[in-house]
Amino acid sequence: MSRARVIVIGAGSTGAATAHDLALRGVDVIVVERGEVASGTTGRNHCLLHSGGRYCVNDEEAGIECIDENLTLRRIMPDLLELNDGLFVATDEADRAYMDTFLEACARCHIPARELSRAQALEAEPFLTPDVLAAVQVPDGVFEPFRFCLAFLATARANGAQVRTFTEVTDLATSDGFVSGVEVVDRRTGRSETLGADLVINAGGPWAEHLASMADVDVPVSPTPGVMVTVGRRLANMVINRCNVPSDGDIVVPQRTTSIIGTTSWSVDDPDHIPIPSDHVDRMMTRGRSLIPEVASTPIRGVMAVARPLISKPGVDARDVSRTFECFDHKADGIEGFVTISGGKTTTARAMAEKVSDIVCGKLGSTAECRTSEVPLVSYRRFYL
Amino acid sequence: MTITATLEVFRCAPGGVDGRFESYDVTVHDNATVLDAIEAVWANHDRSLVFRHACHHASCGSCGVLVNGSEVLPCIVDLADALRQRSPVRVEPLRNLPLAGDLVVDVTGFFERMLASTMSITRTAEDALPLDADDDGGRSQAVSVPDGLARFNRFENCVECGICISACPTMATDERFRGPAMLAALGRARAESADPQQREHLLDLADGEHGVWRCHSSWECTQRCPQQVDPAESIMEQRREILRRRFRRRVR
Ligand SMILES: Cc1cc2nc3c(=O)[nH]c(=O)nc-3n(C[C@H](O)[C@H](O)[C@H](O)COP(=O)(O)OP(=O)(O)OC[C@H]3O[C@@H](n4cnc5c(N)ncnc54)[C@H](O)[C@@H]3O)c2cc1C
Ligand code: SF4
Repeated sequence: MSRARVIVIGAGSTGAATAHDLALRGVDVIVVERGEVASGTTGRNHCLLHSGGRYCVNDEEAGIECIDENLTLRRIMPDLLELNDGLFVATDEADRAYMDTFLEACARCHIPARELSRAQALEAEPFLTPDVLAAVQVPDGVFEPFRFCLAFLATARANGAQVRTFTEVTDLATSDGFVSGVEVVDRRTGRSETLGADLVINAGGPWAEHLASMADVDVPVSPTPGVMVTVGRRLANMVINRCNVPSDGDIVVPQRTTSIIGTTSWSVDDPDHIPIPSDHVDRMMTRGRSLIPEVASTPIRGVMAVARPLISKPGVDARDVSRTFECFDHKADGIEGFVTISGGKTTTARAMAEKVSDIVCGKLGSTAECRTSEVPLVSYRRFYL
Repeated sequence: MTITATLEVFRCAPGGVDGRFESYDVTVHDNATVLDAIEAVWANHDRSLVFRHACHHASCGSCGVLVNGSEVLPCIVDLADALRQRSPVRVEPLRNLPLAGDLVVDVTGFFERMLASTMSITRTAEDALPLDADDDGGRSQAVSVPDGLARFNRFENCVECGICISACPTMATDERFRGPAMLAALGRARAESADPQQREHLLDLADGEHGVWRCHSSWECTQRCPQQVDPAESIMEQRREILRRRFRRRVR
């Protein structure tokens, strides 16, 4: 019997991890991505390897997912992470009061957490605002979304997957309630072709709704962008978070020799090209300065915005939508051979891949088990070899 | 607020076939970068344009191109500045690498060299906070590693953008030249390694007629590098180290 063939649409963190999971299980995988790897949401994200601290108070499920995956990624891609921890910093009495709730939530989600005094916090982070009252240290980290995806895809290729970048899906091949493949155009040559498959996975991030509409099914994704401002100097060793209910501009992620301040949240219809509102940039600088005053005198290096692929729930505000993920088997919509995976985070991409691959293998009649939490990834550089 | 600009963009099929410039008028938000403008060409004018991009903050290294004739990461160049330099703004692919279509170059040979350098993308051997003693009020002295952390680590400065390869005049005359990025990476890998045999091996890789000795000292790599890697100085340092080693071997 020939191997089952699965097409994955999208080479963001979700599609990349899914290709790796399926290839490890012996599935014949083709990834089609319209641009460069990680040219959608993933590449432009905040680069924070979440400990779960950001979510644990309001969204226990997302908090637990994050810490589990954080620890797993340390095993499978150790040289692709800055592992310097994170600080949740209280700068006023309201933050200080929140800290107790925060510590309890960390304990419930088994996120290792350690309280630091004002003096300890300032000793570890000399640029931190002198207003700091106390802080909690948690195992946050920093990744590079591009190389994160390349490593998953390079490993998938080593296990037989094909990855076709600059290849845009223009339609889904459907007949009699079946998706039997995709129609693609290679943007470099202009050539179109149809690729057949036993099953198609839609990992299109904020474009998932558009892709699903090609099979006349509705996926309720609401593209919710955020702005991030990168300043040209590293101003912290650890990730600096405000210890309070998640809001705008309350995280500074140090990366390489820079610091990235983020983020905001609003809604757009078209995630292709997101204009950056100047007032969001100003707000990031003001909010960043309240955590690290030196931000004010550091030149801006880059400004970026990109849309979260949040699963919309009627009547729920974007910040309150759960950051966990969902997998839709469109059998429920009367379409066979088509599955969408959306929501989540880059931090939880491997877990998302495990879930969608379990469903897909079940549909294909394969009993192969997930091995991605144990198998180390090959060098991301091999993606280009 | 928005600005409107004309972009002259190099277009070609794989292999550089049918190379030409095409002009596009784009209207973008007033704090847009040249990369935002390139993306706007794709989003609003011509969906067939191919270009590489991911992080938009000079960390992934994928978007390197020539803007108005100079190698840059367009994600950190303000469109307004590029316009002041030249209007229309001219955008071309990097030099000294095979053309794969429009603004995209084939980076296979480049990543082969980076892999061979063995440089890990994370460095562990020095301070995480790169502080200048004179502008931090002496606070760098106070940085200490919190309990539970053996030491801080951070990503390497080099983002593997290929800009130094494009800017290097030697690269243009010898395609087997290992090139500034790989040679600098060999230097970094050697600095991070504690194994004497591995250090010798890395120096061997930097030696030879296509290695550090081929460099004509134009210093273009160091001038153009967006990350202050200073490949030229690393090349000179490794030359000195190779000479020291030869001398040691002779007197032994
Ligand atoms: C502002 C912001 C900050 C964030 N910060 C973090 C963070 O710090 N840490 C974290 O863990 N998570 C973070 N996230 C969440 C995380 O970035 C996303 O959940 C994740 O990147 C989604 O990945 P994805 O693969 O599902 O989508 P995407 O990365 O968008 O991938 C979808 C891919 O599909 C491709 N595609 C679309 N249409 C087609 C087509 N027709 N044919 C072929 N390909 C197509 C796109 O080009 C794209 O590459 C952040 C999100 C936002 C918006
Ligand atoms: S040395 Fe500098 S210019 Fe060369 S690849 Fe690295 S970052 Fe780019």
